[in-house]
Amino acid sequence: MAVSAAFKTDLLAAIPSLRAFAVSLSQNADRADDLVQETLVKAWDKHASFQPGTNLKAWLFTILRNEFYSQMRKRGREVQDSEGLMTARMAVHPSQHGQLDLKDFKVALEQLPEDQREAIILIGASGFSYEEAAEICDCAVGTIKSRVSRARTRLQDILQISGEADFGPDAIASQVMGSSAA
Amino acid sequence: MTKRDIAADAAKLRRPVAADPLGPNSEIGRKLKQYYDELVSDEVPDRFASLLAQLESAESARKKD
Repeated sequence: MAVSAAFKTDLLAAIPSLRAFAVSLSQNADRADDLVQETLVKAWDKHASFQPGTNLKAWLFTILRNEFYSQMRKRGREVQDSEGLMTARMAVHPSQHGQLDLKDFKVALEQLPEDQREAIILIGASGFSYEEAAEICDCAVGTIKSRVSRARTRLQDILQISGEADFGPDAIASQVMGSSAA
Repeated sequence: MTKRDIAADAAKLRRPVAADPLGPNSEIGRKLKQYYDELVSDEVPDRFASLLAQLESAESARKKD
């Protein structure tokens, strides 16, 4: 079965998202583009297994993610990007004005384990539902939920954001809960 | 107001936060989107369009065989 023009157009349209996800996963721009290239070739070869009408973006993200982990297994953990390790060692200073710097945020994000980083990216940035993210990561919905929650807590710790609950509705709720429990 | 009412109200207050802990009211949620949107709006190198063109011509060459 030939690859349809529509499929090709959709692939082209998905490239910016694929690159963003690939950079988020690998934390390295060159590796990210290699991942995207590999994903496009695989998607082209396997296009017949894509069911039209289902979520193409999720299908492509699944291919990219599998490629990332299979490359990681091949390379072994020891050749982890040295640039990444350098930035990970840099201290993150709490912001002076309560405004978090994007650079600090990137450094913090890089320190998360891959499974937590991908979960918080898929849910918090790529716009996938928990169900879709679970399918992409081939795990249970509950697993995604707990990874997102751990990622969020870890980011707050690294960035020294004392719980947003301090000024959010959560704080009011916990105060009320606290007083009712007392 | 009974303790149960208070607890129920607290649960109501808490629900939106629990539903979207990475929403626009969360600093982490905002930064996450800013980080990602910057990556998405990054200019796409030509190599990907050429790659797809290459895949396409390889396919039509195969069909002629």
